[in-house]
Amino acid sequence: MTAVRIELTLRQAPPLRVDLRGLLPATLADLTVAQIEQLPCGHGNHSVPLGEWFSVQRHEIDGDQSALRLVGDCSRFDRIGTGLQAGQLTVEGPAGDYVGAGMTGGELLVQGDAGLLAACEMAGGRLQVQGSVGDWAASALPGGMDGMRGGSFIVGGDAGERFGDRMRRGTAVIHGRAGDLLASRMVAGTIAVAGPVGARPGYGMRRGSLVLAGPACTPGPTFVPAIADVPVAWQLLARSLARHGGAFATLAQRRMQRHLGDLSAQGKGELILVEP
Amino acid sequence: MTAQHNGVVIDVSFAEAFPMKATRILITAHNATWAMNAAVSATGFATSVIACGCEAGVERTLGPDETPDGRPGVSVLIFSMSGKELAKQIERRVGQCVLTCPTTAVYAGIAEGEAVALGRNLRFFGDGWQISKVIDGVRYWRVPVMDGEFVAQETTAVTKAVGGGNLLFMATDVDAALAVSEAAVAAMKRLPNVVMPFPGGVVRSGSKVGSKYASLSASTNDAYCPTLYGLVDKTQITPDTRCVMEVVIDGLTEADVAAAMKAGIQAGISIGRAGGLVRIGAGNYGGKLGPFHFHLHKLLP
Repeated sequence: MTAVRIELTLRQAPPLRVDLRGLLPATLADLTVAQIEQLPCGHGNHSVPLGEWFSVQRHEIDGDQSALRLVGDCSRFDRIGTGLQAGQLTVEGPAGDYVGAGMTGGELLVQGDAGLLAACEMAGGRLQVQGSVGDWAASALPGGMDGMRGGSFIVGGDAGERFGDRMRRGTAVIHGRAGDLLASRMVAGTIAVAGPVGARPGYGMRRGSLVLAGPACTPGPTFVPAIADVPVAWQLLARSLARHGGAFATLAQRRMQRHLGDLSAQGKGELILVEP
Repeated sequence: MTAQHNGVVIDVSFAEAFPMKATRILITAHNATWAMNAAVSATGFATSVIACGCEAGVERTLGPDETPDGRPGVSVLIFSMSGKELAKQIERRVGQCVLTCPTTAVYAGIAEGEAVALGRNLRFFGDGWQISKVIDGVRYWRVPVMDGEFVAQETTAVTKAVGGGNLLFMATDVDAALAVSEAAVAAMKRLPNVVMPFPGGVVRSGSKVGSKYASLSASTNDAYCPTLYGLVDKTQITPDTRCVMEVVIDGLTEADVAAAMKAGIQAGISIGRAGGLVRIGAGNYGGKLGPFHFHLHKLLP
């Protein structure tokens, strides 16, 4: 089977922010180079053809998954991979806001940092940001009721504030530090952080697991320490997280202390503090 | 035509087996003893689908490195005549025998096949305190219980299987028949994907189809009853075969049942005529009931 690999190389940085929604591997696979160059992109109040910013190369490759590569500093390009359903999308450099928003499948790799609201309302697939992400990652779109609701989201660097706000399902892993109000209003799912976290982790969480593998922190007053061990569930979770390597590799061998809460919400969540 | 191996006559006959539905579940616990307690209980009263609803047995024990949670465990195979009946049996047996057993957790042991409930309905025992946890795309239920948490995978998979493979060991006396049967079961237990559901893997009440009583679909296999020697017309008993034992085998595939029967025949032949084994036969219904025919001569070593 043949698929298509499309490479878009940034020629010049746009003066304003550019909206790249709809630029997906499967969508571009059926288009010629000329057609791709003519695709309209929102730039400020205007619509500008994609060719204005990128040079386009198209290759036929073996396999059944089409691929799209964006090469260059894309930090002014928003909504990269929004609604991605299948295929591979790689950004060789930083990405703008809303990267991977609402994606339901496929793989998205950002080899630099990402802006605000990365992976917001993500429902499936795998999003990896090798750098850091801004505020409100894995959360809900403004006005949305549910945040991330499926798939895997891996952050190689740090995360901003309100990471995982209203998150409902899926797994999010942060290898660096996380900002204030991590997992605020979390409905369910799993968030694991290797580094230190900011103020009030798990604020208002109803259910879900928040694994803090970094320096010790004091849970908020609306969390209660659990006296019972849950070795089975912990082993299942820790072994799964261990595959992300780094500080998570030894999770299954480390002791942990659970805190239950947030009692101001439903109180069925768990804040897991992993001992060094 | 018959063949003799180590003085044992191998009948020109075949075992007739039929399609079943099966699943494998993995039971883990704080230690191997409690995992086995749950497994033995869950596979109790599961000798024959005639009245038990399913046929089940312990497949093998599992080391900590083989289980999803790193604890010792036991793998159990459960067979039934339909997927619907199997689902009912799984729920009852796991609910009454695994959920209740200290420290246990239960997981699916087969990935491919139609999903049926494992912990999906048992979770309601949690009375609202149960927690769902999706890990790597697999949903688990965490149900609070008095020793901590009962963890159960949401579903297990049902696969096509083969039931009713069998061997008949005709021996000089009870001691010899038991020794041969025990050796055959031990050899079969070393193989994967099969269970011998009867007590100790051995059944002494082999049956024929039908009965003089209209309400019974099966009755004693009078041709193999030594007490009826001289009374019934077509007896298989001779003065030197005074005790017959049967080993019944259920397996996930035709090849698994064949391999187990082969191992059983080999074990019997190794004991030989000197050990009291006179004949090895197999039970069939003329080839009309089951599509799987295991001819003994094709299984000879």
